[in-house]
Order: sequence, then structure tokens, then C-alpha cells
Amino acid sequence: MLKIIIPTIMLMPLTWLSKKNMIWINTTTYSLLISLISLSLLNQPNNNSLNFSLMFFSDPLSAPLLVLTTWLLPLMLMASQHHLSKEPLIRKKLYITMLAMLQTFLIMTFTATELISFFFLFEATLVPTLIIITRWGNQTERLNAGLYFLFYTLVGSLPLLVALISIQNLTGSLNFLLIQYWNQALPDSWSNIFLWLACMMAFMVKMPMYGLHLWLPKAHVEAPIAGSMVLAAILLKLGGYGMLRITMMLNPQTNFMAYPFLMLSLWGMIMTSSICLRQTDLKSLIAYSSVSHMALVIVAVLIQTPWSYMGATALMIAHGLTSSMLFCLANSNYERTHSRTMILARGLQTLLPLMAAWWLLASLTNLALPPSINLIGELFVVMSSFSWSNITIILMGANITITALYSLYMLITTQRGKYTHHINSIKPSFTRENALMALHMTPLLLLSLNPKIILGFTY
Amino acid sequence: MNPLILTIILMTVFLGTMIVMASSHWLMIWIGFEMNLLAIIPILMKKYNPRAMEASTKYFLTQATASMLLMMAIIINLMHSGQWTITKVFNPTASIIMTLALAMKLGLTPFHFWVPEVTQGISLTSGLILLTWQKLAPMSILYQISPSINLNILLTMAVLSILVGGWGGLNQTQLRKIMAYSSIAHMGWMTAILVYNPTLTMLNMLIYIMMTLTMFMLFIHSSSTTTLSLSHTWNKAPLITTLILITLLSMGGLPPLSGFMPKWMIIQELTKNSSIILPTLMAIMALLNLYFYTRLTYSTSLTMFPSTNNMKMKWQFETKQITLLPPLIIASSLLLPLTPMLSILD
Repeated sequence: MLKIIIPTIMLMPLTWLSKKNMIWINTTTYSLLISLISLSLLNQPNNNSLNFSLMFFSDPLSAPLLVLTTWLLPLMLMASQHHLSKEPLIRKKLYITMLAMLQTFLIMTFTATELISFFFLFEATLVPTLIIITRWGNQTERLNAGLYFLFYTLVGSLPLLVALISIQNLTGSLNFLLIQYWNQALPDSWSNIFLWLACMMAFMVKMPMYGLHLWLPKAHVEAPIAGSMVLAAILLKLGGYGMLRITMMLNPQTNFMAYPFLMLSLWGMIMTSSICLRQTDLKSLIAYSSVSHMALVIVAVLIQTPWSYMGATALMIAHGLTSSMLFCLANSNYERTHSRTMILARGLQTLLPLMAAWWLLASLTNLALPPSINLIGELFVVMSSFSWSNITIILMGANITITALYSLYMLITTQRGKYTHHINSIKPSFTRENALMALHMTPLLLLSLNPKIILGFTY
Repeated sequence: MNPLILTIILMTVFLGTMIVMASSHWLMIWIGFEMNLLAIIPILMKKYNPRAMEASTKYFLTQATASMLLMMAIIINLMHSGQWTITKVFNPTASIIMTLALAMKLGLTPFHFWVPEVTQGISLTSGLILLTWQKLAPMSILYQISPSINLNILLTMAVLSILVGGWGGLNQTQLRKIMAYSSIAHMGWMTAILVYNPTLTMLNMLIYIMMTLTMFMLFIHSSSTTTLSLSHTWNKAPLITTLILITLLSMGGLPPLSGFMPKWMIIQELTKNSSIILPTLMAIMALLNLYFYTRLTYSTSLTMFPSTNNMKMKWQFETKQITLLPPLIIASSLLLPLTPMLSILD
């Protein structure tokens, strides 16, 4: 695992020592190389995990997330080039350093064996993200957004620290490789109920679950493009990954403790999808759509069946790529019109037809069109929740319909119809932007040929 | 001040604390405290204005009261045990009175009222000495009598201090008062773990002193005592803003910075001793502290705070050279991977 971590750490000296005209080239190239190295992890030979050392391991759940993380860094760097072009050199280097630091922490989080080390790095990802959002965001609301982001996550995760230490006290070790063999049922008591709550709330806030999701629209909207991309694609998945790992230890309380959260998530996905239909702000629409998709993942994780775990993992990877791509598309709009209002730049298909093709593909994958992996994820979740309780099919069906409605609404508003006359002087699409969209879309389409690698450890 | 006089006074302060920390006779400890107190009064009064006089008077009165309480506790201990050696305290009454006296010296709630007012009235350098060096002596006595301290009183004071330190600092814009409330909260953390594992108290004290030293040196470098004047640092020395950001986030206890280490260790020790609600509560209350540190970073480093045009020319004046700042910055932000080394503190 050090073959991935050390090069990522060394990206930081690379940026500081590069010449002015080489910083973007150097960092993008080397981060692409690092992502190529991480692809070798997808080869999980047997039913168990690949253990690299006492501290790092990768299993069929964390490998696709790891590949997604390393894949996203060059994409983030490519997307940030335009809005940073006018900044002084030192600030560009600081931005790239923040991204590289965040990347290091994320890689270490996904491969950590000790749960305390996982927690520690989970919290550590907050600091670079906070700096990226509040320092390089564009509107005054970014300060508030940073505060909400930081404090929601911290209030949720400090009880997790206490819970992890008390579990270590009980079992002697928090090493994940050991715990899966030790696993025994938690005795039924009030304090174990609080233990369950303490363990889960951190990830519920991070996912985010419907009642605790207030930080997400703020943070996603106010962040610069790289911040939005990494938030939507990876940081939300940290919550899902943590939940998948920790629910292993929390049986049998999950049988009854999960009900309120299941209800909140089932209801929340309908509510947030419906709110998407009423949004005027493009990034806010994509942010609420993230909440809605993540609510599906929460439902899947709490049901705890093999199919639902497969669906959750597939949905996380698929949503990561799709959501990040949608944010890049929204950013390409923002860079031209400097406004996030959707109706301000309509009818773009006439002016930028290739970008319209990317918009079409992104919207289609967002609404889970077959045979994309989004569909595989959603389908598995819907099927497993139907087997858990037949009535949920109504809510799930309604959610899929409303998702299709707002995705098409977003597509039609921005792309179709007569263009607004004030945008006929926008710059045509850069090759960089087209490359960015292609690099998002290609893994998504290729994975539909072999979804086995993203189906997680219950395949 | 005349350099010779300053040297003598600083040596007396130093000697007083050393006598407290190194003595085994209760009377010598009391003498050390008094020496320390008397010698620090001129340091607090470096700037001769009524505000500093008021601050010094308040400090003298509270510390003298605390010393008298300490003397009473020593006498009661003498009465019940017949000897002056500092081992454990032999009588619960003496122990309680001694704990209260030392809490008054440290600035724990409910004896915290003097800390913000005294810190505000004095210059930055004196405030630095007040909030770091002066905490060493009482804490060393608490460390030595830790087996016989009444747990209920100490934990109540600790939790209340964390609460007061968090809530009190929320409405402040003066940097010295912010550091004072931060000191109250950190003292609360330190005393919470005193009965369970005094080594962690020392660890927390060490990290706290390093971080506070760094913060004060950064403030002295930019000669700023209010949030507003700190927000001009991006004009003068942009690197200082980054350092302020890192140190403030470290004080707030965010991983991966070293300020997280004492909090993590303390939560671990408390949880292993089967108190679960207490560390959760303490950790959540520490977020109040983090809020006003983050607010400070917002005005200083994460935004280019609006300033009048003549403020933007501040870089033309010569900057001070601060020795010892780089190692302090490293120590206050990057020490977390060295956590296993805290076994050397035993």
C-alpha cells in the first residue's frame, strides 16, 4: 500500500518544486500514474481480503472506492485549472497541496485496518476540505457552509471515538482483520443501544441522512469545483464505507435500532428528490440528488442482506462518478456565465453540442438507465428492500420516478429549447473539459460490462 | 525596564516555580508560590497604566487568597499527620481545601473569573508568561497529591471549566481574552484526567504550553491584540496567516494535528476507566472552543479580510524576528505520529 501512499505524499513536494508552467502537467500526470497503480488492487483473487501489512489492507469493498479516489485526483486537478488561472503561483501550489493532502488521508482511510486509525483519518479529511471550501469558494456563504460542514461532522463523530475506545476495551483489539473472526452478538442493554447510536451517528451525518443533511447543500454549493467533486464522490462514500464496516459488529441491535433511520431515509429520499424539482440553483439540485441517492445506500446498509450490500457498493461507485461528472458540467456552465441559476443559460445544445452529449449521458446515468451500474445499484437496493418489506416498493418506485423527473428537468432546462440571447458569446468547450467528461464517463460505461468488481465482498 | 532588574525578576519567577516543583517540604512549596507571586507583579505591570495596575491587583489578591488557603490546608495536614513531607494528604478536609486553593491558582471554574480580566489588562508577553509558566507550579503540586484528591470536586470543576471556557470565549473579539478562556478550558481537560492517569496531565500541559507559546508569539509578531488587527496580517506577512490557521486548528483539537493527541489520550483513559458519558460530554463541549478558533481563522487566514488602504501598506515597516518559532510550529502541529513516545513521560 505504501506504493500508493508515498507517491501521493510526494505530490506535495512535486508541486512546490515545479516550475510555473509545469505545475498542472506534473501533478496531473503523476496522479494519473498513481491511479494506474491502484488499479492492480482490483484483482482480488480469493474470498478474503488482501492484507498488505498490519496497518493496511484492501478487500473487495475498499478496492473500488480506493480506485475511485485515486482516479478522481487527476480529474479534480484538470477541473480546477480554469478558476485558478488568475491566482498567484503560491496560491495555486497551496490549492494543489490541499488536494494532495486530502487524497493521502482518503487513501489511508480506505485501507486502514485499525478502526481508530480509520476514525482518525476520517476526521483528518475534514481539515483540508474545510480549507478548500472556505478559502477558495466564491460567495460569502462559504464561511457558514464551512462551519456547518465542520461542526455537523464533528458532533456526530466524537461519540464514535468514545464508542470505538470502549469496544477496544471490551474486545482487546480494533484491528478489523481480527474482529471479523471474533464477532459475537452484542448483549441487549441500554448502554449497548447508546453504543449503536454512537457508532452510527457519525456515518449518518456524513452520508448524509435526511434529518442531518443540512450541511450538504451548503458545502457542495459553496465549494470550488474540486471541493464539490471530492465531497460528492468520495467524502460521502466514507460514511457508507464506515457504516458497512461497523455494522458487522453491531448485531443484533441493528434489527430494531435500524427502524427509525430506515424510515427517515425512505421518507428522506422522496423529500429530497421532490425538492430537486423546485431548485433554481444547478449545484443545489445536484447536491440534493446526492442526498437522495445516499439515502438509498443507507437503506441498503441497514437492511444487511448480501444483495443490499452489493447494491450499496455499486451505487456508491456509480453515484461517485455520476455526481462528480454533473458537478463538472455545472462548473463548465458556471465558468462561462458566473451564475449557478439554471434558467440563465438555457438551450446550450445549440451552442455546445458535444457538451450536450455529455449532459445527456450524465443525466441518463443519474436517473439509472439500464445497463449502467447506477441501475445495477438501485435495482439491487430496490429488490432487497422489497424482500425486507413489500410496502417499500411504493416509495422506491416513487423515488425512481421523481429522480427521472428532475434529471430530465435539469437536462431539458439547460440544454433544450431556444437559447437565451445573452449567452451567444460564450467560449466554446475546451478540450480539457471534454477530456474531463470523457474520463468520468468511460469508467462508468466500461464498468457496466463487468460490474462484478464493484459489487463488494458479498458477491 | 532596566535589563539587570528584568533579569533578576525573571530569575526570581523561575526560581519560585523551581522551588515549588522540587521541594518535599510543604513550607518551602508555599514559599516558592509566594516568591513567584511577588516577582511576577512587576512583570505584569510592564506597561504602567491603570488597566495593568488593576490587573496586577486582581491577580495578587486571588493568588494571595489561594496561597492562604493552601497554607491552611498544609497546617491541617500537619495537624493530622505530624510531618511536613509532601506525599499524600492525610485528611479529606485538607485535601479539599488544597484542591480548591490550587484550582484558584490555575483558574478553574468556579474560580476562573480573574483569568480573562487579568490577561486582558497586561501586555502580550506578560500574558504569555501568565498563561504558560504560572500554570506549571500549581499543576506540579496537583500531580504530586493526585492519589488523595476528592474525585467529585475535581471532576465537577473540570467539566464546569470546559463549559465556561467554551461558552465564555464565544463572545470575545479581544485575543488575550480568547486565549484566557482557552486556558480555562484546557485546564479543565488537564484536571479531568488527573486522578486516573497523571502522566496524561503532564502530556496535556506540555502540548498546551507549546501551542499557547506559538499562538502568543504569532500575536506578538503581528503586534495584534484584537481580531480586527489580526485580520491585517495577510497584508503584512501572509505566511503568518497560514501558521495561525494551523496552530488554531491544533488548539481546537482537530486531527491530524498534535492538539488532538491529549484529547484523544484523555478520552481513551476516561473510557477505559468506565466513565463514558463524561468524555463524550467533554469532547462535545470542546467543540465550542473550536467554534471561536475557527471564527478567528475565518477573519485571519481563510478570507482576505477587508481593510482600509493604509492598512495594506503595513508590509513596509520592518518585521520582528522571532526566535524559536519554527520548532514551536512543528511541535504544535505535527507531533501526533509520535504518540507512542509519551511513555517517556512516566
